[in-house]
Amino acid sequence: MLTRWALCALLVASALVGCTADTGDPVRLTVLADRELGDLGPLLADLRRDTGVDLVLDLRDSRDVGTGPAPGASGHDLAWVGSEALFRLRAGRGGPVPLSTSTMVSPVVVGLRPAAARRLRAVSARPSWADVADRVAAGELRLAVPDPHRSDVGLTALLGLATAAAGTGQALRAEDVTCDRLAGLRSGQEPTGPDPAAEFAARADRLDGVVDHESALLTLNASGSLDEPLELVYPRDGVVLSDFPLLLLDPGERAAYDRVVAWLLDPAHQQRIMATTARRPVDPAVPREQRLSTDVGTGMFLPESADVLDRLLAAWDEPTTAHVVFVLDFSLSMAGERAAGLRSVFGALSGTGTGGFARFHPGETLTVVRFAGQPLDERTVTVRGQPDLDRLAAAVAPDDFGRNTAIWSAVRQAYARNPTSVVLVTDGENNAGISADDLLAGLPRPAPPLFAVRIGAADPVELRRVAEATGGALVDATGGSLVDAVRGVRGC
Amino acid sequence: MAEEPTLLVVRPRSVLRRKRFTWVLVPAVLVAVVGAITLSTNGGVTAPIPDVVVVEAKMASKEDFFNDAVVRRVLMENGIQVHLTATGSREVATGDLGGYDFVFPSGQPAALLIKQQRKAERRFVKPHKPFFSPVVLGTYRAYADALVEAGVATPQPGVEPPMYYNVNLAGFLGLTRAGKTWQGLGGDAPLGNGNRVLAQTSDVCYSNSAGTYMGMAAFAVNDRRPPADEAEAVALAEEIRPLLTAQGFPGDDMAQAYLAPEGRGLAPVSVFYEHQFLAHQVRTKDLHGGPDSDRVLLYPEDQVQAVPELIALTPNGERVGELVTNDPRLRRRALELGFRVFETDDVSTSGEFGAFLREKRLPMPVSGIGDTETFLPPLDLLEKMIKTVGRC
Repeated sequence: MLTRWALCALLVASALVGCTADTGDPVRLTVLADRELGDLGPLLADLRRDTGVDLVLDLRDSRDVGTGPAPGASGHDLAWVGSEALFRLRAGRGGPVPLSTSTMVSPVVVGLRPAAARRLRAVSARPSWADVADRVAAGELRLAVPDPHRSDVGLTALLGLATAAAGTGQALRAEDVTCDRLAGLRSGQEPTGPDPAAEFAARADRLDGVVDHESALLTLNASGSLDEPLELVYPRDGVVLSDFPLLLLDPGERAAYDRVVAWLLDPAHQQRIMATTARRPVDPAVPREQRLSTDVGTGMFLPESADVLDRLLAAWDEPTTAHVVFVLDFSLSMAGERAAGLRSVFGALSGTGTGGFARFHPGETLTVVRFAGQPLDERTVTVRGQPDLDRLAAAVAPDDFGRNTAIWSAVRQAYARNPTSVVLVTDGENNAGISADDLLAGLPRPAPPLFAVRIGAADPVELRRVAEATGGALVDATGGSLVDAVRGVRGC
Repeated sequence: MAEEPTLLVVRPRSVLRRKRFTWVLVPAVLVAVVGAITLSTNGGVTAPIPDVVVVEAKMASKEDFFNDAVVRRVLMENGIQVHLTATGSREVATGDLGGYDFVFPSGQPAALLIKQQRKAERRFVKPHKPFFSPVVLGTYRAYADALVEAGVATPQPGVEPPMYYNVNLAGFLGLTRAGKTWQGLGGDAPLGNGNRVLAQTSDVCYSNSAGTYMGMAAFAVNDRRPPADEAEAVALAEEIRPLLTAQGFPGDDMAQAYLAPEGRGLAPVSVFYEHQFLAHQVRTKDLHGGPDSDRVLLYPEDQVQAVPELIALTPNGERVGELVTNDPRLRRRALELGFRVFETDDVSTSGEFGAFLREKRLPMPVSGIGDTETFLPPLDLLEKMIKTVGRC
């Protein structure tokens, strides 16, 4: 009996049409497409020859594609975006869901010049987002990062960074987003437009690396336009993949859409897409090329609601000109272990690869006020590089512990410096200088938040009362790590 | 391969795509047929091609069957070409059935909804149960070992190294609730994965496998009792919701993600159907001579039998139902694609399935399938729970 496949074989042999993608009536479809999909150009002619469908890509920044109007309203027949999840989050869950097919995948990764990669790997053999953020904040890595407002790659990278910073092991929630964790990367990055790999290549002399899709970085490496190829870093704490769905906006074009999708998913064409664009096939059975056989590592969970994205972008936009005043108790009871703890906090935040997301970063102004029965001394630095951070760490080195504890006088001095937030670390009760009420009476309204870190026997009631009156909080370091406590309350 | 996509996904289709195919409209094909018949001297083509009917169908993971080249060929020889619209199982039931000849939702809840609706409208409806496949958790050996170490999984007796494990869902979800991450589980070989211990599912609002997993999770957490009334169902759904939504935005095809070369990092523990795993193992065995020994299955100790029903909505759909249920080649192909085919008594499935696995030298899993009806709450309560968990 003649089979469908015999028929197909014949049709192929006579070069009339393919088997999985039939030529129907010639049709032209307009596609609202993410700019980076311009690299599919060479394939579109063959697609047209095999299926009769002429895809006309209208290339736009991902912002203009992803936040596009409801299906059909843009006037395009199809949309081709980077991320199904981002598209649907923006479209709003519960709204109409266009027919959609993932066509290929690529993770968002960090590409580094070999020397920069060596420096990063000296900190950690398998670097994490925290390690990357830390080195950027330290001014050691100058990284091109696409603007998350304009580019899905940038937004995806930001999601990866923020999810890693939250460290919950689950999808990012709005309440997990804290601007201070993002400020490190933001301060040291070079913002770029929607084609970071190309912009990196143009400015390669003053940059160490770039955040982009694996596909874009491999393509840049293969182009020969760099002196030496970039090394790809797949952050240990997780990567986010883009899945490049093709969406049917005009349901009336279903037949042509079916032909296009069938063609794209055909294993032979999946292979060609891979060879042409360096994106990974969506078909698990298509073997990956050598350059795409790298283990991408752990996949990060994506948030399930759009307000997380809004919150994230808002946090990214927070100014990085923070001025944090640390008010540190140097009364006698702090001598020994507690002072050693304080110094290790400053060591960690000033950066030897252990500060992670919370470390001090360029652009930030930091003041240290040490006090006992009265303010002992005060030092302010604006961070531009490591020497500034070294000076800051030196400010907590002296061993001149004093009698008595004038907490609120020292805090008043801190507020006089016009800070964005105040971090108080104490182990005692106020027994000198002004009272808490005196302080509160003199504060501006609204006052910048005071975060009170309580060590040992310090009175929690009064500390909490003042902290909460300023919109800050009491953090208990009594049983836990002082480093974690201080990291948790930097604010922005 | 697709499992319960959250969105409509279209798979490759063949040349003949009009509702009713007529030769006159496509002269090019006529030329080809003439060519084909001239081949008959050495190709053994003796009969003319019958009139081909294009049958419209909507389904979720069972598209694996209708996308299969062998299945399409056998159907074509019977004058049938199936045009698929792939969607989530619950969407099969809740979406428009107009224009479809048959639907094939992956689970009973969706099938029940459709049958009730069609009967109420006094319209053509004829269900078939050709085969079934349990909902399982696909994982990797190191993850299974870590779960054994953590005391929530046990290897099934039989082959070494084991391909199948039983998992205690109450214990497993207890790890999620405690905020345990995979790298926090300890064991001999740290997993290097900072994600929380959980099983990834497709969207519970659309997918039968995700809905079934939700039902099993609720049963396990609720001391092995389904909720009795709506208040209890909603409270229970709210209780397990954080455990199921910690994964964030759901994937759209968990089997595809799991079976991909990148699956170990992207979908290390994923909920889908046994047939998707077994089809992979049969394929691997045929290609490489041995099974994929790194990928293994976890069977929840209290299993729910996911019996997909092929529901014919027109006489043409009914022809497909008859063929899939009775044609020996299609039954054989179903086994090769990992399904458990029902035997002539319409109840048991172990005979042919077991014989097939023995023939392929693949181990036989023991699934803890018991009395389905006692595990899942009544349909209306299950719906309520799905909507509560998924906010849909």
